[in-house]
Amino acid sequence: MQEIDFRTDLLPLKDQLFRLALRITLDRAEAEDIVQDTLLRVWERRAELSGVVNSLEAYCLTVCRNLALDRKERKEAQNLSLESGSYDAADNTLSPQEQLEHDDRLRRIHRLFCQLPERQRSVVQLRDIEGKSYKEIATVLGLTEEVVKVTLFRARQSIRQQYEKIEAYGL
Amino acid sequence: MDYKYIEQLVERYWDAATTPEEEQILRLFFRQSDIPQPLLRYKDLFDYEAAERSIGLGSDFDRKVLAAVVPATPVVVKARRRSWAESLRPLYQAAAAVAVVVLVGIGAQRSFQKDGAAWDYNPASYNDTYDNPQQAYKVLEDGLEMFQRTASADTVQADKQVVSQ
Repeated sequence: MQEIDFRTDLLPLKDQLFRLALRITLDRAEAEDIVQDTLLRVWERRAELSGVVNSLEAYCLTVCRNLALDRKERKEAQNLSLESGSYDAADNTLSPQEQLEHDDRLRRIHRLFCQLPERQRSVVQLRDIEGKSYKEIATVLGLTEEVVKVTLFRARQSIRQQYEKIEAYGL
Repeated sequence: MDYKYIEQLVERYWDAATTPEEEQILRLFFRQSDIPQPLLRYKDLFDYEAAERSIGLGSDFDRKVLAAVVPATPVVVKARRRSWAESLRPLYQAAAAVAVVVLVGIGAQRSFQKDGAAWDYNPASYNDTYDNPQQAYKVLEDGLEMFQRTASADTVQADKQVVSQ
């Protein structure tokens, strides 16, 4: 890989990183901080990464996910006394403006996605939103392609089940 | 239109058996406004995914993150060595463009001038091309011979084509 340039190589990844961080943390402000940390961290390590990392995008996504998981763990450790089983309580992914713009059904689907376990959420995010291949997802998440496929299968089955309930009963 | 293919794709999508290309077909399909009734129920799902794809960070973020990075990266203007032939390239291009315009202009002007002069069909105003009648006769004879040769060659070729068919 050639020398990394911040503006042309790293900055264009910000939206993709933000969406992944948001999918994990479910908090816009936190996701934005994570993207900034990711970009700065990779930038500081650029000298050692040149020639070692095949895909800068995959590497950044991995760093971003790890940072997001760290933050989530720390947050959960701080809030042990609170019941944190549901992700709904921390669901600040949509700004007030967007909340108004999204109609009720899309908000319900959003909740379906947010209720998945973190690994399934990340896989669905990388596959269905970012359109990545199993191989790319496996690289980012440090899993085998087979595990990625099984995880995606479970996530989609779960979404289907809930989705059809919404369709049938408007739940 | 037959939507069975899309229905099969949706079914395979739920089973995580679709390829990224097939999933792209589904995304494009559900982006349409007129979805057939049996498939309409899946439109919201794909609309949601499309909306999620448009989420991003604004230029405020760029300013903030660049401010944190800029001290380490002063803007370096890289000077490149160029040979004199390379640096004269724009000049060649301009000269070539001017030459094309001039040539086209001259050509157009000439053809307009030709069109402008009407043909004179009056035999009284014809001028002799040759002063010597023998030379004139020779030129006419050569011309007719050439015509005959061309005509007979065409006839032979046409006959051959007929035979080969």
